Amino acid sequence: MKQEDINLERRGFLANSGLFVGGLIVAFHVPSVLTKAMAAEAPSPKTVYPPNAFIQIAPDNTITIVINKLEMGQGVNTSMAQLIAEELECDWASIKSISAPVDPVYNHTVFPMQMTGGSTALSTSWDQYRKLGASMREMLKMAAAKRWGVSDSEVKAEKGFVTHPKKGKLSYGELAEEANKMQMPLNPPLKKSKDYKIIGQSIKRVDAVEKSNGTAVFGMDVRLPGMMYAVVARPHIEGGEIASMDEKAARAVPGVLDVVKFGKGKAAVLAKNTHAAKVGRDALNVRWKENQNSKASTDDMMKDFRERAEKKGLVADERGEVDDKLKGAKKTIEAAYEFPFLSHAPMEPMNCTVNFDGKTADLWSGHQMPTMDNGAAAKVLGIKPDKVNIYTTYAGGSFGRRASKTSDYVIEACELAKVVKKPLKVAWTREDDMRGGYYRPMNFHKVSVGFDDKNQLLAWRHHIVGQSIMANTVMAGMIKNGIEETVVEGVAKTHYDIANFRCEQTRADTPMTTLWWRSVGHTHTAYAMETMIDEVAEVSKQDPLEMRRKMLAKSPRHVAVLDLLKKQTGWGKKKAPKGRAWGLAVHESFGSVVGQVAEVSIEKGQPRIHKMWCAVHCGQVVNPEGARTQVEGAIVYGLSAALHQQIQVKDGQIVQGNFNDFPVMRIQDMPKVSVEFVKTDEPPTGLGEPGVPPSAPAVANALYQLTKKRLRALPFSRELNA
Amino acid sequence: MDIHINGKTIPINMDGDTPLLWVIRDELNYTGTKFGCGKALCGACTVHVDGEPVRSCSFPLKAAEGRKITTIEGLNDKVSVAVQKAWVDNHVPQCGYCQSGQVMSAVALLRAKPKPSDQDIDNALGGHICRCGTYQRIRTAIHQAAKSIG
Repeated sequence: MKQEDINLERRGFLANSGLFVGGLIVAFHVPSVLTKAMAAEAPSPKTVYPPNAFIQIAPDNTITIVINKLEMGQGVNTSMAQLIAEELECDWASIKSISAPVDPVYNHTVFPMQMTGGSTALSTSWDQYRKLGASMREMLKMAAAKRWGVSDSEVKAEKGFVTHPKKGKLSYGELAEEANKMQMPLNPPLKKSKDYKIIGQSIKRVDAVEKSNGTAVFGMDVRLPGMMYAVVARPHIEGGEIASMDEKAARAVPGVLDVVKFGKGKAAVLAKNTHAAKVGRDALNVRWKENQNSKASTDDMMKDFRERAEKKGLVADERGEVDDKLKGAKKTIEAAYEFPFLSHAPMEPMNCTVNFDGKTADLWSGHQMPTMDNGAAAKVLGIKPDKVNIYTTYAGGSFGRRASKTSDYVIEACELAKVVKKPLKVAWTREDDMRGGYYRPMNFHKVSVGFDDKNQLLAWRHHIVGQSIMANTVMAGMIKNGIEETVVEGVAKTHYDIANFRCEQTRADTPMTTLWWRSVGHTHTAYAMETMIDEVAEVSKQDPLEMRRKMLAKSPRHVAVLDLLKKQTGWGKKKAPKGRAWGLAVHESFGSVVGQVAEVSIEKGQPRIHKMWCAVHCGQVVNPEGARTQVEGAIVYGLSAALHQQIQVKDGQIVQGNFNDFPVMRIQDMPKVSVEFVKTDEPPTGLGEPGVPPSAPAVANALYQLTKKRLRALPFSRELNA
Repeated sequence: MDIHINGKTIPINMDGDTPLLWVIRDELNYTGTKFGCGKALCGACTVHVDGEPVRSCSFPLKAAEGRKITTIEGLNDKVSVAVQKAWVDNHVPQCGYCQSGQVMSAVALLRAKPKPSDQDIDNALGGHICRCGTYQRIRTAIHQAAKSIG
């Protein structure tokens, strides 16, 4: 999508996006009966996806693939297109990708809505997208056979053409219109992995050129004719309301056009440009009403969590006789772990552009849950969902933030648009973004581990106290008997063979809004598990890798990863260079297993991470270089948090606001990362998130070798600089 | 005042204290230059002023008077082409939001030091943040671009 498209009015935008262009491109068409049926119920494995809703073949043989996931950096516009291209038998150079509009046909194959998340893009599109490609290929073959008057079995599809030994060849572009009238095969033959030509290749990203020359369009870049720029005064903690503000001062700022009170106690300054809106907003000098959160502090919240950990929680997972065995233990380790709130801080701050004329609305943003955003916008604006058009731009990162469980940023923009009724863009500053809520929840873990008289592991009791992500949302139904997967995942149902084990959960809510943050519960559970496993290896005098391998013997993916990691590092034979140490962690999340070894040293009292080896089992790798970028990035994301990041609250205010007090690793901090994959043709499992969880414990375990100090309160800087 | 940007001279009627970033983005519609932090902490807004990389979010319009501004849209020399090709070849961009700024700094570095060391790269790119964690590939890409320019 280019800037010119954005500047056009809606009709023009649609024409230029490649969709709905009659004549030139085979028309996008979803039978309305099908659309209605899909809207009524969640897609089942029997759901039929018409290929022409996903594959548009132009007469010049260029092929446009409609991607029903948000491109937010994870590479779906490339890797998902590879799935279709492989089966379609076309020339990769003829492929381009576009983001899907909102329509039930583009719903997730598992969840009853259009969404991107949970590292599911490839795993849940694997069958769907390959079948779409294969069905279209078969329909093209049928169309050619019909035109030539030969049988389907005599024709072949290759490199964008259907061929026949005597009749010659016809391009897909020539056949597309007829192909779409053919009976769609429900179970087209799919290729065997040994025949793949596109899947498994490190094809360059389809968006790499426009993301290297500045032409890629993000939500923040959307401009509409006559659009106003809005910056909003929001409370640090949701529920706060404006007590007083200096409207006159804001209006006096050059470029400010209006000051509007809207929503529940918020105000917006609308201006000719973003800067004027921001200066105007700051000039409001808002005073907030006192409320029950005015004195809130994370210190108090953590104190409350710590107290709750002393009482028994709900049992999420239990085996053996934990309490008896712990009582009889000859040695016990009692550990308390503290994990702070974390901001996602994607490089592109939140934003949403709305054009609402009182009857219909157009919305632009990097929508991660467009179905929910569509419904939320319609509700706020008081119009039917089909009067809301959602346009999904590229997202400048998300890491969970744009998958807002409440559509918070969309609702806010619509509340303002409902009052203003002119095109506007709500732009968040970095501080707005960091202080705008929706954090990785704070968590406290209390862990008791007992050993027998031979220093062997006897029992493990693990109590997690933390805030819910799903409560009071449409996903609340996913909380079963009080147990929330997003809190206990990674401890409950651990793959470690521990005879006496119990995981408890206590829900402890705070006034803060929470959200999934790249790898969700695994962000903290992997840390507690993998650093404590390292302690167990030390007490029982076992090699940390060999002990894990033994305790995970029944889990083939873990074993394969540990073996690969051993090969990569020479673990057991080689050692870290002098002054440096190695630490290991392995963790399963989103169906994939990732093991990492960190090589670290301490320089001027601060951890220096020199190298990270990563072994990954994520099933079939669709694009190996693309997959590596995900794991490399996950390490930077996980370690930036572990080393430096926390969101604190004092007197009801968020302390951190920008990258000076919420630091991110930079190029000079970047370790050398080498990523290898276990070779397999099992279907793909998640990869956007699974690289995050093992990174922090691997580094912590290495640091322990150097300092003999177990770091149990994150970020590390809290203890290292104490 | 007049602004000299990407080879054009354009009259601007905005408050002189307005950060150059917002003149470029909201007034001139060169949206390749990004807003990331507003405090010169992340480098997403990097442009060239008389060839030097500058954080446009913290550079007032009035300071640009009489100087030549180049944004990502204005890059077209041999070095820029080599850098952008190396970015694509090495799978550098993920979300891509920070990359305009990274490219601007990489181009300025290679013009000043055609064969940069790792330390030179750290010094020139150390002011940039990438939340997708593309740093390792940025380093490789800069070395590749240096080699290709010869």
